[in-house]
Amino acid sequence: MPNNLLDSAILTEITVNHYLILSAALFSIGMLGVLLRRNIIVLFMSIELMLNAVNISFVAFSHYLGKVDGQVMVFFVMTIAAAEAAVGLALAVSIFKRFKEVNIRFFEHLKG
Amino acid sequence: MTADAFLFWFLAFASLAGALGVVLITNPIHCALSLVMTMVSVAALFVTLQAYFLAGVQLIVYAGAVMVLFVMVLMLFDLKNEIQAFSRGRAKGAFKIGAVGILSGLIVGAVARVTLFTDTPPSASTMAQASTSVGAIRPLAESLFFDYVFGFEILGVLLLVIAVGAVALSRSKGGTHAK
Repeated sequence: MPNNLLDSAILTEITVNHYLILSAALFSIGMLGVLLRRNIIVLFMSIELMLNAVNISFVAFSHYLGKVDGQVMVFFVMTIAAAEAAVGLALAVSIFKRFKEVNIRFFEHLKG
Repeated sequence: MTADAFLFWFLAFASLAGALGVVLITNPIHCALSLVMTMVSVAALFVTLQAYFLAGVQLIVYAGAVMVLFVMVLMLFDLKNEIQAFSRGRAKGAFKIGAVGILSGLIVGAVARVTLFTDTPPSASTMAQASTSVGAIRPLAESLFFDYVFGFEILGVLLLVIAVGAVALSRSKGGTHAK
């Protein structure tokens, strides 16, 4: 039986669905990180994780459709992600200068 | 099990393990290192999808530049194992995990129910042609600089604005909170 399981089609034939499900799983883990973590740097890392998950599905669709448009979109997403990281980390540095803390529990001044 | 399938499962496992590491490890520098593992796995996944140029860009931009930025900022903060790494409240935490589980369950269920691209199975020759044209850089450059040239220029302006904004932010004295 294990031999049968190892040769089943869902394990051996990699389709676009596999890449999409992997992308969904990575996106969900990133979202979990944004919801659960308190360190602002780790929040940015989780956002990068979500953007990477989206990139995987773009490239998978690009490959299986035989068009390059998806890869161009990945370029745009990468640029936006790099810009977001730069601004976010600059904000984190200025927050740290002000509050001496990067845990979001300690600067809830905008909380209503 | 073929080599392609094994490669996919290995890379999927590595990227998911790295992603879980980012969320679950409390030391931020170890989070950054496991994020590097995810980035490298994603770059290798791009190679399995024959997007070779994007794999290189992913390695240089993400695993290189962005991660160096993260690690350098972490170095500035000098964080050890932090207290209260996770948000408080067991009920709230369970609610958040449940919400994420429902979202991922919906997506995975929807994707698993449909079989994409099986209505018109492309013949071997067209597949080979498509894969070479997708893998090459030339069509990518033509698409980027002809069809999407407006977005490309806008991105250039965006990067300029971001660079100026980051410098302005790092020079600011704290705005309304200024001492």
